[in-house]
Amino acid sequence: MDNWVIVMMLMGSLFLGAVALFGFMWAVRNGQFDDKEKYLNATKFDNVEDLNDAADKQKKREELEKSYRPE
Amino acid sequence: MSDKVACSHCHLEFTQEVMIEDEGHYFCCNGCQGVFHLLSDEGLDSFYDKTGDIKLAPPIEQYEDSSNFNAPAFYDKFVKTSNNSFSEVSLIIEGIHCSACVWLNEKALHKMEGVIEANINFTNNKAQIIWADHIVKLSEIIDMIRAIGYNAYPYDASLQEVHANKERKDYYLRMAVAIFASMNIMWIAVAQYAGFFSGMTQELKTILNIAEGILATPVLFYSGWIFFRGSYYGLKNRVVNMDLLVATGASLTYVYSIYITVLEHGEAYFDSVSMIITFVLIGKFLEVLSKKNAADTLDIIGKHLPSEANVIKDGKIISLKLEDIIVGDTIVVSSGEKVLLDGVIVKGEGTFDESNLTGESEAIYKKESDSVISGTISIDSDIHFRATKDFEHSTLSNLVSLLENAINKKPKIEQLANRLSEHFSTVILLFSIATFFVWWLCPHSFETSLMVAISVIVIACPCALGLATPVATLVGLNLAARKGILFKEAAQLESMAKIDVLLVDKTGTLTVGKPEVINETILEEFDKNILYSLVKNSKHPVSQGIKNYIQESLETVEETLFNSFKQLPARGVIATYNANEILGGNVQLLEEYSIISSFTSDKTLFFVAINKKLVAIYELEDKLKKDAVILVESLSNRGIETIMLTGDHERSAIKIAKQAGIKTFHANLSPKDKLVYVEKLQADSKAVVMVGDGVNDILALGRADIGIVMGSGSDISVDVSDVVLLNSSLISLLDAFKISDTTFRLIKQNFAISLVYNAVTIPLAMMGYVIPLIAALSMSFSSLLVVGNSLRIKYKYKKA
Repeated sequence: MDNWVIVMMLMGSLFLGAVALFGFMWAVRNGQFDDKEKYLNATKFDNVEDLNDAADKQKKREELEKSYRPE
Repeated sequence: MSDKVACSHCHLEFTQEVMIEDEGHYFCCNGCQGVFHLLSDEGLDSFYDKTGDIKLAPPIEQYEDSSNFNAPAFYDKFVKTSNNSFSEVSLIIEGIHCSACVWLNEKALHKMEGVIEANINFTNNKAQIIWADHIVKLSEIIDMIRAIGYNAYPYDASLQEVHANKERKDYYLRMAVAIFASMNIMWIAVAQYAGFFSGMTQELKTILNIAEGILATPVLFYSGWIFFRGSYYGLKNRVVNMDLLVATGASLTYVYSIYITVLEHGEAYFDSVSMIITFVLIGKFLEVLSKKNAADTLDIIGKHLPSEANVIKDGKIISLKLEDIIVGDTIVVSSGEKVLLDGVIVKGEGTFDESNLTGESEAIYKKESDSVISGTISIDSDIHFRATKDFEHSTLSNLVSLLENAINKKPKIEQLANRLSEHFSTVILLFSIATFFVWWLCPHSFETSLMVAISVIVIACPCALGLATPVATLVGLNLAARKGILFKEAAQLESMAKIDVLLVDKTGTLTVGKPEVINETILEEFDKNILYSLVKNSKHPVSQGIKNYIQESLETVEETLFNSFKQLPARGVIATYNANEILGGNVQLLEEYSIISSFTSDKTLFFVAINKKLVAIYELEDKLKKDAVILVESLSNRGIETIMLTGDHERSAIKIAKQAGIKTFHANLSPKDKLVYVEKLQADSKAVVMVGDGVNDILALGRADIGIVMGSGSDISVDVSDVVLLNSSLISLLDAFKISDTTFRLIKQNFAISLVYNAVTIPLAMMGYVIPLIAALSMSFSSLLVVGNSLRIKYKYKKA
């Protein structure tokens, strides 16, 4: 067996593991583990309307940030 | 049953006649109807699809004016402003039943102009709201929450929780990286160990080394950052701590391993780098989990004090902030309410519960021109009093500022782990440096000498030492929690094992705290059910004592309906039924109704008369808790002296002390006297545990090495204390001592194990006999030994 096979396998598995790790870290930072029940229940209510709401919320925030002038 | 209809909003079921009908919908009250229409108008009626059949609480209709929330004082205290002008507040939302409630609140708030973020935690009902204050005011946000049938009140998140959560989350992330990398390094290391014995090409070895190196890098620099930071602060304060040992050991090993990998000669130790960091980090994390946040204590102040009182101004009753009330204002206190300022009664009379403040076990009768002290509670009547001091100078407020002082001065018993690790780290570093020079001068190559020196640090793995305390205390804490004993900080388990003196409060701690009937004299037969109904309606502790007594003595009690019922403040109760009159109360009540009795006793008396004829006399007394004697005896066997401190008068103190077998006691003590007493003992270098329950104990609780509060204690004393006994039993108190003793013994054993391990392996390492396989195995073995030993606490405790 050539050594490059081992290199590829090592790199491949480490890369996949790292992706999972970063996913997990992103979720922890994002507060998805702070309130287990809410996030689990949220899947029940997930629909187009909620996605639109989320987009509106983001838009509203940006507009307010733009419109703000320090006194 | 079939004619019951469910309310369209809250889903509670009632008969159809009482419901409000509205376009095919039924509502149980106007509140529900209002919320229902509001949700339909706002297009939020899909809320009802989400709730299903879950029953909600109908909205409460009367709320205080929400404009309070716009007051500058409120903003100062609870609202944070970020630099882009957005305001942020933390609220607790009341009335959340299900995830649909969370959805509704978030949705309704997001729809409001100017609200940027509303995030509600379903598990603890806490909400974080961010809004632009120039567009919408906080009061409007609160009004919206109330309009949809919930209520919100603020809490100060900045002090305790946010900080604690942030630290915890930080550790989670660092641990996730460390564990992930270590697990992967281990399987690569297995290949290397196999290759070490069966032989493998140098090329393959280098590939594996590089893979390990990649994995070890984030562990050292991200997860291990905590140790670099810790050793920096340690050095700044001229302390060689364990962090320094971990940091130097791990980074030297890391640098050396890179050097080996590049040179393609010898063994790299990347697995040791990540294992050390991971193990010690887990130990540290366990400590963080069980540590009480220092900021917690700061938040006590003010949390339990109402911020407003009712004051009569221009003939009207208005709510005023305590700080705004001036000397001479007339304040109204209703029955069951707390007096918040010192003053003199100008109207009304009644009994006051001063046990909280003075330890006096019996309620005290006060009338016009008597003075009232802040912190006491009016039991049975509405009174008006004139403030003689402003809030800042009142007893209650003084107590709070004294408390701050007491907590700041609280001594810390030095923990064994800190002392030991400091010496240990210094010795190991010196050993390692000495080894390097001895090998180099012997002479060996620089490379070999460095490797041996590093192996000394690596083998002296602080893993076992780092895990010795946290694992044992965690097992101890769990065992204690199952017995209803909550230690707020893990280190207190250790402190408690070093205690010399136990100070106990009398009322509510050694005694039950409520008067109980000890003697019943029946002068003429009568129906006790009537007496039961009479006393049931009064909140006075004596009435409650009689009620409990009758409940226990009769198999079933039937309630009598009275035609009229009246409470006579500080005297008793009187009622009429079927043209008969029953009265129950003290001697004053008898005199008032010209009933004559020559019965005397040094106990509290309760007379019952029917149609002005005395039928029964009850004697009541506060009783000693049943396990008090066992407690005092077993503690004295352990060499701990028990001393009773009470605010109550000498006579009742002597009696209780005698019954409990306590030799030393002090009576007539004010809260400050108790504090002084604790300080005196500490000046004699005694470690003191204080056990109490009331506000009168908080100063002593705060100052003592360990403050233990009974679960029935007032909120503020629960906050000040270090240990809470949930079931208020004295056996739990004894258990707390036993568990801490056992835990401390096992901590010491753990240290012994890891020191013996080091004593054997370090010389081997210094002589250069340690190969990577043995290093890794022995490292894990010593850690497992320590963990296993800690699990014996439960078994050992049973034998204690």
